[in-house]
Amino acid sequence: MTSERPSLPVIPILIIVAAGLYVAYLLGRTLVPFLLAFTVAYMVNPLVNAVETRGVRRFHIVLSFYLLAALLLYLLAQHLLPALINGTADLQADMPGYFTKIHNFLSELPRRVAKNVPHAILPMAESFISKTYASCAEQMERLPSYLMGIFPILSLFFLVPFITFFLLLDGPDLTAAIIQACPGRHVERALHLISEIDSSLGNYLRGILIVALAITAASYVGLWALGVEAAAPIALLAGVSSFVPYLGAIMGALVGGTVAAIQFSSLTAGFKVVLLFTAIRLADESFLQPSIARYSVRLHPLIFLFSLMAGGELFGFVGLLFAVPAACVIKSLLQVSWDWYLSEVDWKGTIASPPAIPYT
Amino acid sequence: MQKLTGWLGLAERFLRDPAFEDRRRFLKSLTLFQDLRFTELGHLAQCMHSRVYHEGESLFLQGDVGRALFILKSGKIELSQMEEEGRPRSISIIGPGEFFGEMSILEQLPRSATATAAERSEVLLLYRAQIDSILHYHPRIGVSVMTRLAQLLSARLRRANLALLEKPAS
Repeated sequence: MTSERPSLPVIPILIIVAAGLYVAYLLGRTLVPFLLAFTVAYMVNPLVNAVETRGVRRFHIVLSFYLLAALLLYLLAQHLLPALINGTADLQADMPGYFTKIHNFLSELPRRVAKNVPHAILPMAESFISKTYASCAEQMERLPSYLMGIFPILSLFFLVPFITFFLLLDGPDLTAAIIQACPGRHVERALHLISEIDSSLGNYLRGILIVALAITAASYVGLWALGVEAAAPIALLAGVSSFVPYLGAIMGALVGGTVAAIQFSSLTAGFKVVLLFTAIRLADESFLQPSIARYSVRLHPLIFLFSLMAGGELFGFVGLLFAVPAACVIKSLLQVSWDWYLSEVDWKGTIASPPAIPYT
Repeated sequence: MQKLTGWLGLAERFLRDPAFEDRRRFLKSLTLFQDLRFTELGHLAQCMHSRVYHEGESLFLQGDVGRALFILKSGKIELSQMEEEGRPRSISIIGPGEFFGEMSILEQLPRSATATAAERSEVLLLYRAQIDSILHYHPRIGVSVMTRLAQLLSARLRRANLALLEKPAS
């Protein structure tokens, strides 16, 4: 029987973590479908678990979920696809009109600016507008290549569900394998770590899903009330972008504001849309975030900002998406290491006060 | 009718997970979980982690901060305490269906004994955070488990009191 108390193997842990981060950096985009699949599996897993408590085989549950999702997609495609095709055809037909509107709007702009801005600045404003127009035209020419660039992303639509299937099916076995591989005496700590990561990451992911749905719904209603065309795609764009903190409102305001300004040939209309997204952002901050953040990991705003910048710098857009969840995991690791240190070296737990009255 | 019953039985056997059922049946046989219903036992079975310990492997050492309740499914676990001279003294042998480390569910204190597998043993672990989560999301299960735990601890305390009373004054 062992009686000596082994200390925390800090150096091997640090080496493993550093090696893991370096491998992740080298693999880069290869990890994207796995990370996305992990996120989807994390969100769907509670539903699978709820059915599993009835004693049904996990394979049957996951397979039923996939069949149900396929059926829903088929029904959605039946109803949405014709609308989408019609919408695209309408957009194609309206495109020359929009270009004329943009051209007229930009041609009108110097005259409007001249009314309100001193004459000294006028040449500068004219030069800025002509440059912007030239840049826009150049970007429009590159549009086909941008669209071609979407094709690799389309492969994710097939890869992510495929990987998610196996993660949902074998997730509990993976956890069991980790626990079994862990040295006997450290199983409690491994469970502590898994539990900390699970609660902070799970709550964060479920939280951002709720925020994305709420932003999509609020944006759609607001844009529809303002009479903005293409309210649904703009709302969807704002919702999806909200996975990156603050980006949802910014994207909605930029794209929605531009569309509204062009559609109504008025800056006031664009300003109204910007106001709408500011209000949505404030409502999210005041009502949604407090209830969501209650159970999720709390990151200092500076660490939040740093993780976003570091993620963006290292992995681009994907890095922005996964920066905050990664920061949640690292914070949980540090938290557990600290608890570990306290329990090993400097235990200061609470002991319930001894009973003053004897047992009766 | 008999044919229909046969088909239904076959379908149930096809859908049911035998390993999950086995764990649920085992939990139902324990005093701690006897009051729980079918689905509630399912929730509990899902919260537990299973691990196999080999002979001589330590589960925890005396002085480690406890964070989980251990339920022995099969095998044998020895609990021992360190004497003042630094030698381990065996204080109890745990058999299948018994549980230990329950105090960690109530308060995070250093373990009062060392647990070592006396033979190849399968143990179910119920981590403290899982109990907190059960209390939050399934209060009926939490209350039932906590009530049973309080009753068992009360019985142990009563036995300890009796043992103290029976001990001749030195």
